Amino acid sequence: MGTTKKYWKGLDELNASPQFTERAEKEFPQELSVDQFLADDKLKESSTGRRDFLKFLGFSVAAATVAACEAPVVNAVPYVVKPEDITPGVANWYASSYYDGSSYASILVKTREGRPIHIKGNRDHGITYGSVNPQIAASVLSLYDSERLKGPQSMGAAEASAWTTIDADVVKGLNAATSKGKKIVLLSSSVISPSTLDVIGGFMAKYGKVASALAVAPIAVEGEASMMAAPVYENIEHIQYDAISYNGIREANLASFGKRIIPDYDFSKAKVIVSVGCDFLNSWILSTQFVGQYLMNRNPDGTFMSRHFQFESNMSMTGSNADVRGMIKPSEYGKALAFLHKEITGTAVSSVDTSSLSEDAQAKLKMAAEELKANKGASLVVSGSNKKSIQVVVNSINNALNNYSSVINLNDPIMMFASEDDKVNTLIKDMTDKKIGALIMWDTNPAYSLSNGDAFKAALANVDMSVAMSRYADETASVCNYICPDHHALESWNDFNPKMSHYSLAQPTIRPLNDTRSSSESLMVWSGQATHVGPDSTNFHDKIKKNWELFGFSQQTEYLDFHSYWSAHVHNSCGNVMTLPATAVAFAGDVAAAGKDIASITGGEWEISLYQKASIGSGIQAGNPWLQEMPDPITKVTWDNYVTMSPADMAAMGLSIEIGQESPSNVVSVKVGEKELVLPVYAQPGQMAKTIGIALGYGRGENDEKIGRSAFHTDEFGKHAAGSNGTRKKIGENGFKIAVGGVLEINAESISKTAYTYILACTQTHSTVMGRNSIVKETTLDIYKAQPKGAYNHAHVLHSGWNHDEKPISEFDLWDAHPVEHVGHRWAMTIDLNSCIGCGSCLIACQSENNVPVVGRDEVRRGRDMHWLRIDRYYASDVEPTVGTKDLDKFNEGGFGALEIPSDNPKVIHMPMMCQHCNHASCETVCPVAATTHSNEGLNQMSYNRCIGTRYCANNCPYKVRRFNWFNYPSYRKFTEVNPAQDDLGRMVLNPDVVVRTRGVMEKCSFCVQKIQAGKLVAKKEDRKVIDGDVTTACADVCPTNAIIVGDWNDVESKVRKSSQEDRAYQVLEEVGTKPNVWYKVKVRNENNDALEAIQVAHNEHNAEEHSDEGHEDPAHTEEGHTEGGH
Amino acid sequence: MHKEAAIREPLILGHKSYHDITEDVCRSIEGKAPKAWYIMFGVALLVGLYGVGCIMYLLGTGIGTWGLNKTVEWAWDITNFVWWVGIGHAGTLISAVLLLFRQRWRMAINRSAEAMTIFAVFMAGMFPLIHMGRLWVGYWVMPIPNQFGSLWVNFNSPLLWDVFAISTYLSVSLVFWYIGLIPDFATIRDRAKSPVAKKVYSILSFGWSGRAKHWNRFEIVSLVLAGLATPLVFSVHSIVSFDFATSVIPGWHTTIFPPYFVAGAVFSGFAMVQTLLLILRKGMKLEAYIHVKHVEYMNIVIMVTGSIVGVAYLTELFMSWYSGVEYESYAFINRATGPYWWAYAAMMTCNVVSPQLMWFKKLRRSLLFTFFISIVVNIGMWFERFVIIVTSIHRDYLPSTWSMFYPTWVDIGIFIGTLGLFFMFYLLFARYFPVLAISELKTIVKISGESYKNDTAPGHHSDKH
Repeated sequence: MGTTKKYWKGLDELNASPQFTERAEKEFPQELSVDQFLADDKLKESSTGRRDFLKFLGFSVAAATVAACEAPVVNAVPYVVKPEDITPGVANWYASSYYDGSSYASILVKTREGRPIHIKGNRDHGITYGSVNPQIAASVLSLYDSERLKGPQSMGAAEASAWTTIDADVVKGLNAATSKGKKIVLLSSSVISPSTLDVIGGFMAKYGKVASALAVAPIAVEGEASMMAAPVYENIEHIQYDAISYNGIREANLASFGKRIIPDYDFSKAKVIVSVGCDFLNSWILSTQFVGQYLMNRNPDGTFMSRHFQFESNMSMTGSNADVRGMIKPSEYGKALAFLHKEITGTAVSSVDTSSLSEDAQAKLKMAAEELKANKGASLVVSGSNKKSIQVVVNSINNALNNYSSVINLNDPIMMFASEDDKVNTLIKDMTDKKIGALIMWDTNPAYSLSNGDAFKAALANVDMSVAMSRYADETASVCNYICPDHHALESWNDFNPKMSHYSLAQPTIRPLNDTRSSSESLMVWSGQATHVGPDSTNFHDKIKKNWELFGFSQQTEYLDFHSYWSAHVHNSCGNVMTLPATAVAFAGDVAAAGKDIASITGGEWEISLYQKASIGSGIQAGNPWLQEMPDPITKVTWDNYVTMSPADMAAMGLSIEIGQESPSNVVSVKVGEKELVLPVYAQPGQMAKTIGIALGYGRGENDEKIGRSAFHTDEFGKHAAGSNGTRKKIGENGFKIAVGGVLEINAESISKTAYTYILACTQTHSTVMGRNSIVKETTLDIYKAQPKGAYNHAHVLHSGWNHDEKPISEFDLWDAHPVEHVGHRWAMTIDLNSCIGCGSCLIACQSENNVPVVGRDEVRRGRDMHWLRIDRYYASDVEPTVGTKDLDKFNEGGFGALEIPSDNPKVIHMPMMCQHCNHASCETVCPVAATTHSNEGLNQMSYNRCIGTRYCANNCPYKVRRFNWFNYPSYRKFTEVNPAQDDLGRMVLNPDVVVRTRGVMEKCSFCVQKIQAGKLVAKKEDRKVIDGDVTTACADVCPTNAIIVGDWNDVESKVRKSSQEDRAYQVLEEVGTKPNVWYKVKVRNENNDALEAIQVAHNEHNAEEHSDEGHEDPAHTEEGHTEGGH
Repeated sequence: MHKEAAIREPLILGHKSYHDITEDVCRSIEGKAPKAWYIMFGVALLVGLYGVGCIMYLLGTGIGTWGLNKTVEWAWDITNFVWWVGIGHAGTLISAVLLLFRQRWRMAINRSAEAMTIFAVFMAGMFPLIHMGRLWVGYWVMPIPNQFGSLWVNFNSPLLWDVFAISTYLSVSLVFWYIGLIPDFATIRDRAKSPVAKKVYSILSFGWSGRAKHWNRFEIVSLVLAGLATPLVFSVHSIVSFDFATSVIPGWHTTIFPPYFVAGAVFSGFAMVQTLLLILRKGMKLEAYIHVKHVEYMNIVIMVTGSIVGVAYLTELFMSWYSGVEYESYAFINRATGPYWWAYAAMMTCNVVSPQLMWFKKLRRSLLFTFFISIVVNIGMWFERFVIIVTSIHRDYLPSTWSMFYPTWVDIGIFIGTLGLFFMFYLLFARYFPVLAISELKTIVKISGESYKNDTAPGHHSDKH
C-alpha cells in the first residue's frame, strides 16, 4: 500500500484536464499594478479627448453651480411607530365644539399628521347648521401663536415656573384668604360648560363658608339649576362677566316673564323680521344659529321669502342684507320700537315722543308694522340694545304679535352671555377696599374690556393674590401674581350647554403644544379634586365623562352601555337635540316704566354706536393675522380701527372722503366724557347723519402685552411700529373704554378734526358698480315671480350678418372650444348672491386651505392683498334703482360722476369673486411659457414652477383675480411679524397638500384642486363615479349660508348643473366671451321697487316686441345655460 | 454723376473737401475730449450706475419694490419698454427706409440715429427682462429644447412674438449699423497714430482695404440689409402693439394699434434724434453737415407722424363711442376725465398740438424751438404709453378692483437710470466712433455741397483722405 494518499475534489482535478488547470490558476486573480494598467494599449481607445474633457469640465461646473443653487434640504422624518389612526397624507377630521365666550358652533377640525390645520362647521350635528364665522374658522391659527404662554408664570419671573410651585403658591394664597376672612372671587366669562360649573361648585365648596345652611341661591340661570342648586357662600363668589353684555335682555325677560334668561329665537319661523340695531347675522348672541335659520327663508323659490327690515345707525352686515333698511340714530332705537309698539298694539308707549323720527324712518316703520300685523305668530322683532327698558318694549311687541308661542322660545333659553354687570362694579369696589383675598380670572380680560379697566387694574394691586387663567399674558394677566395658562380650545376637552336643550363636547385634536393646563383642571387641583400629572392629565376629561354618564347617559334610552353612548357623542360632538317647544307666556312687563326710561334717553350732537367686526369681534383673537387682514364685510378695510361717518357729515367737517393707496383719511378725536378716542375716519354710506360707528376689539396691547405679534402695527418695512417708550404700537383704540355699563350706544361730547392724517388699508376702494349690469344682477321678489327671465336676467346677444340676426354670445368663438363639455368631468360652481351675506368665512377658509400668505397693512394699502377669494361689496348710487341697473334719465343728467357716489342709504350686494375658471380664459392665451393652462376637467390651472412672472395673465384677466407674489412672503423680512409661514410654530398651520408659492410667480384660486383630486380618489377606491358631495371647495364647504355649490357640471344630476340652469343663473361679464365655469345667481330683494320694476318690465317688453317683429324666438332667452352644450 | 438743382438747399454747407469731411469727423476721435464731454459722461455714468443699483435691488428683493398692484400689474416697466422701443425706431427708418427712397439728407444723420437705435433697444430690451418675476428662468421664453418633457413655449402669446420681434430687430439693426461703420473705421485706422488705437480700429475695421470689390460688396450688403430692415421697422412696433391689441382689456383691445404705434414710434424716434443731434452738431462743430435743412426735414416727419398719431387718438375716441360697448366708452371717458386726466392732457398737448406748430416754416427752421419741441414730443410719447397701459387697466371691468398706480423710487430710479446709461453709451459713441458716415457724406459733397453748387469750391479734385 502506498503511503501517499491523494485527495481530489473532482474527476477534473484527478485527471488534471487543461481546462481545469486554466481555471485553477485564475482562482485568485492578481490585481494589475497601476503601471501595468496604464501600459495597456487598449486604454488609449477609451481616453478622454480634449473636447470631451471640456464637455465634462463644463458639465461638472454647471452641475456644481446648479447644485449650489438648490434650496436647503429639509428632511421629513417618518414615524418610527406609526400611530394607528394616522396615515401620512390622509386627513383626519374630528368633530368638536367651539366656544370662546362670544361665539359658539359645532365644528369639524381637520388634522394632518397630528396637526389641526383647518376648521369648518359641522353640518350634520348640533344646533348651528354647519355655520361658523370667520373668527371660528381662523381660530386654528391662534393655536400656533408663538406668543401664547409656554407655561405657568409668577409675576416678575421671566421664565415659566413649574406647575407644582404655582399650585402650592395658589393654594397657600387661597387658604390665606380664607383664614384672613377675605373674599375669594372667581371672575370668568360666561361658563356654559356643565362640567366646569361642577368643578367650580367643588372649588367653591372647598374654600367656601356657607352663609346659612338653608339658604339656596335664587336660581340665577335656569340651566345651572338643572345641574345643581348652588349654596350661597359668604366668602367666595363666581362672577360671570362678558365683554359684550346682554344683561338688558336677561333683565327685561325677568321683568316680563319672571325668568332671567335669553330666549331662543328661531329666525326660520319668521316671515317678517324687524331688527332695530341688531346685527344678528354677525355678532348677536348665537349668530351662528341665526344665520342658518335666517337663510332658510331667503330662497325666492321657496314657499315664502321672509321680509327683513333693519333700522340702524351704522351700516351693519345684517343691515346690508336687509330688504328694507331705515336709518335712525342710536338714541332713537327706543323711539322706533315705541313707534312700532303703537302701530301694532294701538297703545302708545307712554311718555315717548316718536315725532322726531325722520319721515323716511316713520314710513318704513309703518310698513314694517303692517307686515308684522299681517304675520302674527310668524314674525320677529329684535333689538341689539343692552337697555332693559328697550328690551321690555321689544318683548311687549313680540308678545302682541303672538311670537312667544312659536318664534321665540322661552323654554329653551340660550345659556351664553350670563353677564352680571352690576356685580363687576361691586367687585371693583371690594377690591379697592381690600376685601378680596384672592381673585381668580378665567377667559376674561377686564382690564381691557371694562370701561373702567384702568380702575380695575389699579384695584388689582389691592388684591392679596390674583391669578389669571389666560392663554396670553394679556392686559389683565400681565398684572396678576400668577398666570396659569389654559389650553387652546383645540388642545383640551370640554363640554358645552349653549342652549338649554343642547349639550355638546369638545375634544382635543393635538397634544398640548406648551406646558399649559385646562383651567378646569387647575381649579380641580387647587380644590384637591385632582392632581396634575403633566400635559397628558386626564382629570377634566374624566370629570366630563363622569358627568355625562351621571346626567346624560342616565336620561336617555338610545344607547345600552355608556361606552357606545360616549363614543357616539365624541364622534358627533353632541347628541340629539332635545325639543323644548315654545309655549305662550303671559307678559308682565311694565311698558309704561320702560317708556319713562326710554324718554330719558336723549341724543347728543354726535352719537356713537359701537359694533363688533366680523373679523375681530370683541378682540379675543387680536393677534390672529388672518383675521386682522380679513377685509371688513362692509368697509373692506383691513388691519385697522376707524370711525365710520356719513360722507355728508364728513364733507361738512372738511374731512377727506377719498380712500386709496395714497389718500390719507383725516384723524378725528372723539370725546366721550373724559375719554378720548383718536381714530381715522372712513366715509360710510348708509351711516345715519350725525352718528358714527366704532368697532370694538381694537386697541389691544396698550402696554405692549404679549398677545400675538400680529396684534400690533407694522410699519412700511415690516417692523413693528414704535409706540410710546419704544413699545409696539397698538392697532386702533379700545372702544370698550366708552361703553359704560355694557351699553354700546353712546353720546359723544365732541368730534373734532385733528391735524393728523392716516392712510387706511382697503382692499376695495371703489364702492359702486357703475351701473354695469353684467356684473351683479338684482331684482325684486315681485318681478321675479311675475316676469319671465328676460326681465331680470336677460342674456347678452350679438347682432351678426347682414340681417343683424341676434345670436347668443356663446355662438361666437375665436378659439377652439376646450373639450370639457360632456366629456369626463367639468368642475363648476354656482354662487347665489341672494344667499351670500358677505360674512367672509369663505375667505378665511380659503386662506387656511390654500396657504394664502398674509402680507400686512402696508401691502394691502398698496393693493397687493393676496386673498384668492375676495368678496366685492357694491353700493347702489342714486342713479341706480338697485345695484347695477341704470336709470337712464338720471344717468344722462348726472353722468359717470353720479354713478361713482353711493346713495345716502344704499342698497348693498356682496359678491364673492374668485377665479372663474374660464373655458376661454384670456389669461391662458397670453402666457408666453404656457404656465397657465386649461385642464381637461375645465379647470384653469396655474403651474407655479413654470411661471416666469410676466404678469400679463393678471392684466388680461377681466375679473382681476390673479395674485402675484411681489416678494418672497415666506422669508422676506417685511413679513416676519405678520406671515405665519415665517414662524416655526405658525408654519404648522400650513396645508401640506398645497405648495407655498415662491417669489415672482402668479397664483390664484385653483378650485381647491387638491380637494378635487382627493374626492376623485375616494370615488375611485369605491369603484364608482364621482357623485355630488365627493368634491367640494373650502369656500363652499364652510359657507354658512350654502351660497356656493360646487360639483361636476357634466353630471346632469348634480346640484351645480341644476343650479346653473335656473332662471336666476348668469355668468359675470358674459359678453367678454370667457365662458366661465362659475355661475352667479341673481339677487332677489323682497321689497317694492317701482323704479326697478319700470326698467326691468319695460326691458322685457321691449325685447319681446323686437323678437315678435322679427318673427323668431329669442334663443338667448329660452336657451341660456344650454347653449354651450354644443358637442 | 447725379446733378442736383442749384435751387435746392445744399446738404453740406461751406467749402468742404473730402479731406475736410474726414478731418471734421475724426477730430473728436483723435483729439482730446472737451471738458464738457467729461462732465456729461460723468453725470450719465453716475445716473446709469444708480439705475443699475436700483435694478440690483429690484432683482434681489422682488417686483414688489415697484409700485404695481393687483390691478395695475404693468406700469412704468412696460411704459419705458415701449417708449424706448419707439425711440429705437428712427435709426433704422432713417438708414433703411430713407436709403431705399434715396433720401440723401439721411447721410448726415443716419450713423448717429442708428447708434441711438441700438442703445435705445438695449434699454428697451432690459425692461421685459427685469420686469419678470423670475428673471433667472427667463430663458424659458426661448423655444429651446428642454428637459421639462415636451414643454414648449406658447406661440399664442404676443409676449413671445415680442421676444422674436425685438431680438430680430436688434440683431439686424446692429449688423446694419456695423457694416456701415467698417469703411469709416478703416479711415480712422489709417490715420491713427497711437499703436493701441491703431490695433483697436484695425480689428474693428475687419481688414477693410478700400478695394473696389470691397466697395461693391459693401453697397450690396447695405442694400440687402436695408431691404431686410425696412419690414422690421414696421413689424417691431406692430408686434409690440399686439401685447395690448390682442388682450380683452378695454383701451388695449384696439385694432388701430399697429399703424398707430408705428407712427408714434417714428414720431418719438425722430424727436429723440433731434434732441441728440442738436447737441451733437454744436458740441462737435458739425454745423456744416447737420444744419437747418436737415432739421426741417425731420420736423416735417415729426409733423406728419404726429398728425397720424393725432388722428389715431381721435379715431379711438370715436370708436369707443360708436362701438356701444360700455366698458370701452368708459375707458376713454375715464382717460380724459378720470383721475389720470392730467396724463391724457399731457399726451394730447405734447403729441397732437405741439407738432402742428411745425406748419410754420419759421418755427420748423428754428433750432431752439425744435429742440424744445423734440423734448416735448418725447415727454408726450412717454405719457401716451403710460396712458394706454395704466389708465386702461387701472379701471377695467369690475369696479371693485379699480385702483391707482403710484411709482416708487425704484420705478423712477430705473427709468432715470436707463436715461443715464443711454446717454453714457451715446457719449462713448460720440467720442470713439465716427458720428457721421464719412464715406457716405463724401458721395454727396459734390452733388449737394454748397460750394459745388455755386462753384466756389477751391480744389475740385482734392481727393485726399
